[in-house]
Amino acid sequence: MTVTEQEIADYVVRVRDALTDLPPAIRDELTEDLPEHLAVVAAESGGTLVERLGEPEAYAVELRIAAGVGADRRSATGDPIAFVDRVHARLNTLDRQLGRRLGYPTVRAFLHLLAPGWWILRGYLAAMLLAVFTTGLNGSIGLLPRFEGHLSVGLMTLAALVVASVMLGRWEARSRTWPGRLLVLGNLVLVGFGLAALVYLEDRRVEGDYYAPISVDSQYDHIRDVFVYDSEGRLVEYARLFDQNGDPIRLGYPDCPDLQNLSGNANPLLRGYPYCPEAAPFRPQPTVGPSPPVLPAPPGTVQPESAASPTTPETPPTTPTPALTPTG
Amino acid sequence: MDTTQLLKGVLDLAVLAVLRDEDGYGYDILRRLRDAGLAEVGDASVYGTLRRLFAAGLLTTYVVPSESGPHRKYYSLNDAGREQFARSGKLWRTFAATMDTLLDDRGRAA
Repeated sequence: MTVTEQEIADYVVRVRDALTDLPPAIRDELTEDLPEHLAVVAAESGGTLVERLGEPEAYAVELRIAAGVGADRRSATGDPIAFVDRVHARLNTLDRQLGRRLGYPTVRAFLHLLAPGWWILRGYLAAMLLAVFTTGLNGSIGLLPRFEGHLSVGLMTLAALVVASVMLGRWEARSRTWPGRLLVLGNLVLVGFGLAALVYLEDRRVEGDYYAPISVDSQYDHIRDVFVYDSEGRLVEYARLFDQNGDPIRLGYPDCPDLQNLSGNANPLLRGYPYCPEAAPFRPQPTVGPSPPVLPAPPGTVQPESAASPTTPETPPTTPTPALTPTG
Repeated sequence: MDTTQLLKGVLDLAVLAVLRDEDGYGYDILRRLRDAGLAEVGDASVYGTLRRLFAAGLLTTYVVPSESGPHRKYYSLNDAGREQFARSGKLWRTFAATMDTLLDDRGRAA
């Protein structure tokens, strides 16, 4: 690494940081020759300034001892305050170095510019959190807050909370008297909630809703299952309902007692209606048992007659191979 | 005991000595000390010592514009500094002579 002016500036800053307990006049006097001295040292020898002169903090200690201005009481070894100070000094240095990479004096200065954006996001997160608290998660998180399904109330709350958050942010920046820990805790809760919501939405995107939720009027709330009968009075299995837009209509929920496995192909949500054929309100003629789905078989597949009828078909009707292995 | 330990006691005197004949700025003084054989003298120690001697009223300073780079702060001995140098020099010679005798005696005895 070549010695640069930046390195010199950093070294000077770190030496001065280690002398902050001194009166400013003495500190200035002690370090006024330092930049020039470092420039000469850098010009005359290879290696970094730290390799040549030691750590800036050690340089500062030597300087203050030789100048007889007293040892820094804080730098006593083992003193937790001194340790905190050292960590603080390191963080400050890191702050400056990373900040320059970003094109700003410090990372802190860069983050400071983002603060208003965070205030707005904070208001939004607060509104979403409020909506989830009051309405519960069963409505699933959308992108806008809804209170008991009312979007207008949600939007008004959202606007109010965003404004409040920005005002709080500006007040925060002006005064230091606010009980900061409470605010930090609140911010952390909102950030945690935001991340959890993101994970939730991402999961839902990956899995995909097989049935897009269709809002159904409450008069259908009592429906638990749907049974379709053909013109011959036979129960149609694997029936699927769609609306005029081609969206699947979901009614009821599979709660038959004999259903154990809700995953994979046996998932009745994927199989279609009825969820529970055993609960059919009208029994078919005794000669007709539960038959496999009568669906046109694609060319090349086994004809339905050639396979025994499985009592519980494991495959969804979209792949109409009634049974690959006769189970008897 | 290494040279660093010894230097702590006599750095004041060494700095006064190199300023006796000619004024100098910080790095200049450091180089003179090193050239004189005090290779282990620390950069910060010299700057700190200069500041302390100045604060004690033994040195005066003046700024000289430099053709290249910033102005340089030169240090020079004032009358108090010369007095101090004479006293400290005498003290050192006595001390050094005592030490020499001590070491020679021991050396012969060994």
